[in-house]
Amino acid sequence: MQIQTRGYDSVLSLQELLSGVVPDKLSAALTGLLGAPARVVSADGAWVMSNAACLPETARRLPLIHDLEAAGFLETTAQDEARIRAVVSILEALMRAGARYFMASEMHLEVVTADYEELQRRHIALAESEARYKALSAHLEERVKEQVNTIESARRQLYQTEKLASVGQLAAGVAHEINNPIGFIRSNLSTAQSYVQKFQLLAEQIKSSSDLALLGAWKNADLDFVLEDFPSLLQESVSGADRVARIVSDLKSFSSVDQAEEEIVDLNDNIRSACNVAASQINSRAELKLSLGELPRLRCKAGHLSQVFLNLLLNAAHAMKQRGEIHIQSGVENGQIVIRFIDTGCGIPPEILARIFDPFFTTNDVGAGTGLGLTVSRDIIVAHGGSIDVSSEPDQGSTFTIHLPIDRRNT
Amino acid sequence: MAELDEAARKLTIKLVYYGPAMSGKTSNLIALHNLLSPDLKGEIMTLETQNDRTLFFDLLPLGFRTPSDWLVKFKLYTVPGQVAHDATRKAVLSRADGVVFVADSQSSQGVNNAESFQNLEENVRRVGLDFETLPLVVQFNKRDLPNVLTEEEIQARWSAAPWPLMMASALTGMGVKETFASLLESVYAALDPRFSLYETLGVDRHAFIHAVTGEAFANSD
Repeated sequence: MQIQTRGYDSVLSLQELLSGVVPDKLSAALTGLLGAPARVVSADGAWVMSNAACLPETARRLPLIHDLEAAGFLETTAQDEARIRAVVSILEALMRAGARYFMASEMHLEVVTADYEELQRRHIALAESEARYKALSAHLEERVKEQVNTIESARRQLYQTEKLASVGQLAAGVAHEINNPIGFIRSNLSTAQSYVQKFQLLAEQIKSSSDLALLGAWKNADLDFVLEDFPSLLQESVSGADRVARIVSDLKSFSSVDQAEEEIVDLNDNIRSACNVAASQINSRAELKLSLGELPRLRCKAGHLSQVFLNLLLNAAHAMKQRGEIHIQSGVENGQIVIRFIDTGCGIPPEILARIFDPFFTTNDVGAGTGLGLTVSRDIIVAHGGSIDVSSEPDQGSTFTIHLPIDRRNT
Repeated sequence: MAELDEAARKLTIKLVYYGPAMSGKTSNLIALHNLLSPDLKGEIMTLETQNDRTLFFDLLPLGFRTPSDWLVKFKLYTVPGQVAHDATRKAVLSRADGVVFVADSQSSQGVNNAESFQNLEENVRRVGLDFETLPLVVQFNKRDLPNVLTEEEIQARWSAAPWPLMMASALTGMGVKETFASLLESVYAALDPRFSLYETLGVDRHAFIHAVTGEAFANSD
């Protein structure tokens, strides 16, 4: 606000002093009061009220005093001294009123301007202080967000670690308990195989004997078939026991997820191990195809990465509406280990594609999944300095791509 | 700042009566209007609220013509004393050539006097005047009331102050003219070096004061 003030103590002209009255009316009133022609002129003669015509030389000229000085003159041909004095007095009173109004308004403007400037100053100071607080609060919000993210991530890790730890403990316990019986089952089966060979040697002698009763009983019991079938039964049992032993071994290595220490591994082994663990769930739904290229050995938390592979495998299996194919590729591209899980499942609708890594986001029925699998998978990959991306076509399938830096010291 | 208009042969001097609310600044002007008889004396123009408190200021114009036909005009202003009107006080104080600080002698008014005096010092600085050289007279008004500080107490309290101390009762007129004359002394002394008053106007200090107050020459020293 810029208001130009002249200052309440400016010198005022007669015109300004009389600006509060209508000149024509005042002129008429003066003439009426004096009963003779009259006019009001400024001290320097430049301004004449109502542009009244000049009066004869004989007209009287009386000073109109304002602020100790003549601001103008009353000219009149009237002769009545008392009336003239009264008119001068009235005019001076009008001039005083005009001056009073002028001074009051000028002072008012000065005060308002000063107050406004003071307000502006305080407003600016306030705005500055507000900006400081805003910046502080914005920063605060950021800090809180950061903290919340850190806590969230830690909580997910903790949740998953605890889950894996309990699964691992269970698996280790079960493996230990199964290992002993499977050991003696396997051993007994071998012994049984050697026993069957002894029976086969004996059979030749029995069949070549002339004891008809013995031969009849042999035939009735169909022991030829028994002896022929027995070794293959035992052989199947042996391979079955071997398979159980292998699964237990995979389960054991897989259960090492609770050991968060880093180890140096070939990730292809971890992929195979994950495939074995998930085999029962995959085989009924999809063909598993592995194209594993040679990988450099990687220092990593192998148990955690196995968990990621298992997650992706099971997700791929669950994505199958009808029997399809799961293709796992591994290799080195641009100095990074790249592992792809390509499925021919139902795909992910574009509208939820961006959210699949969000915590507790799940398309499974309540209770069927925590909605943490992909979140934790991403956390694990990111913790290894890598990244995980997804591309998907509804009804065509999805591809999850994991990038892991080979030398993490460079990331 | 006094204005010297060579062409119109006119010197205009601005004097301000400052002080706490209700200390008698307007009463001083009314008393001066009654007591003084200079050549030229205008009416007091008051800008007050309905309850007689000064809203913006009061103005009393006084003046005289020198033998060499110079017009010397004095504009005596009062300020509104209430704390809220600080912007008005500042505006009135700007370009002042001299100040009478009207204090209230009542013993209960010590704090108000002190605050107002401090406010004067601040505003003098804010309008760009020099408090060290500004002509200033301190008047203790309302001597006619009971419960006032004794003159000895006042003298003791203000002993370190360099300004003239005047006792007055604006309602009875006692000390009002003396206060004004005392200020004129300081103002003349302050303006003389700038305007060479005697050479320009042909009026010495005594004549100057006499002309405004209308006192006989013999009464001034």
